[in-house]
Amino acid sequence: MGEVIVITSGKGGVGKTTTTANIGIGLSKLGKKVIVIDTDLGLRNLDVVMGLENRIVYNLVDVIEGKCRLKQALIRDKRFDDLYLLPSAQTRDKTSVSPEQMKKLVDDLRNDFDFILLDCPAGIEQGFQNAIAGADRALVVTTPEVSAIRDADRIIGLLEASGIRNNNLLINRIRIDMVRRGDMMSVDDVTEILAVDLLGVIPDDEHVVIATNQGEPVVGDDCLAGGAYERICRRLLGEEIPIKDFSRPEGFLEKISGLFHRS
Amino acid sequence: MRVPSVPIAKERLKTLLVSDRIQCTPDTADRLTQDLYNTVSKYIEIKPENFNIEITRNDIHIKYTGESN
Repeated sequence: MGEVIVITSGKGGVGKTTTTANIGIGLSKLGKKVIVIDTDLGLRNLDVVMGLENRIVYNLVDVIEGKCRLKQALIRDKRFDDLYLLPSAQTRDKTSVSPEQMKKLVDDLRNDFDFILLDCPAGIEQGFQNAIAGADRALVVTTPEVSAIRDADRIIGLLEASGIRNNNLLINRIRIDMVRRGDMMSVDDVTEILAVDLLGVIPDDEHVVIATNQGEPVVGDDCLAGGAYERICRRLLGEEIPIKDFSRPEGFLEKISGLFHRS
Repeated sequence: MRVPSVPIAKERLKTLLVSDRIQCTPDTADRLTQDLYNTVSKYIEIKPENFNIEITRNDIHIKYTGESN
């Protein structure tokens, strides 16, 4: 039976879609059968981040309205084994789908996939209710900013009120230099405010922008964010990997000793 | 030296979260604290400086510290 995980945040622009794409791809690279579903009706994005925008025939709303079979709407990502995308509709409004319909759709996918990842729209309205309807657990994405953390706190409250209690936090776009000079909240600052378990920290990394420009993932790449996403995937599979606090100076020392080695 | 901005962010966030969590203004939160203090002080000897409430998403923690007499 597959696990249904919703990736959500409340605030827009904190990295939900990038995170969904990279965790989906990362899990499939680790041998899991994965489907990622874009639930943001009217603002389709996940296909673009994954570089699959030219391959869409049918979408989520077509499936719900019975215009095609579920299997017909799934796009297989040829670069990876067993990774599929169910794209959202670009032209429909968010009332075209109900939470009950979404729940049935994800339940129908449980037998065929190890992981069903739902990319949630920003906000706390119907799109959010649809996305969380069939979820077993949530990954709440935030950045170390007042507004994003505030929204994450509301989202955690709403998830718990809907009976989704197995929630984890991902802190995105941490900047080591700013944390060190006291101008960005640290991992500890954020986790002491939000009472959910931390699953990972993704440093601010220009490689994410470059990869997204190209419709390619960063997960597993030799860069800070690539490594962070891979560790998040491994933790989801139950591996115990300590979480790097990107504000501590160990990384710096490692770098120096690395230089020392080479010379 | 410029002052680090994190303490300001944390303070603003704390105020926002309290009002979001109990859905009231900071002013109402202060009155809630006062009422809780009055109620607790009927049964336990406390001083205002030793009395503190902390509001999390699911609980309100009442903390009092130090010897009462």
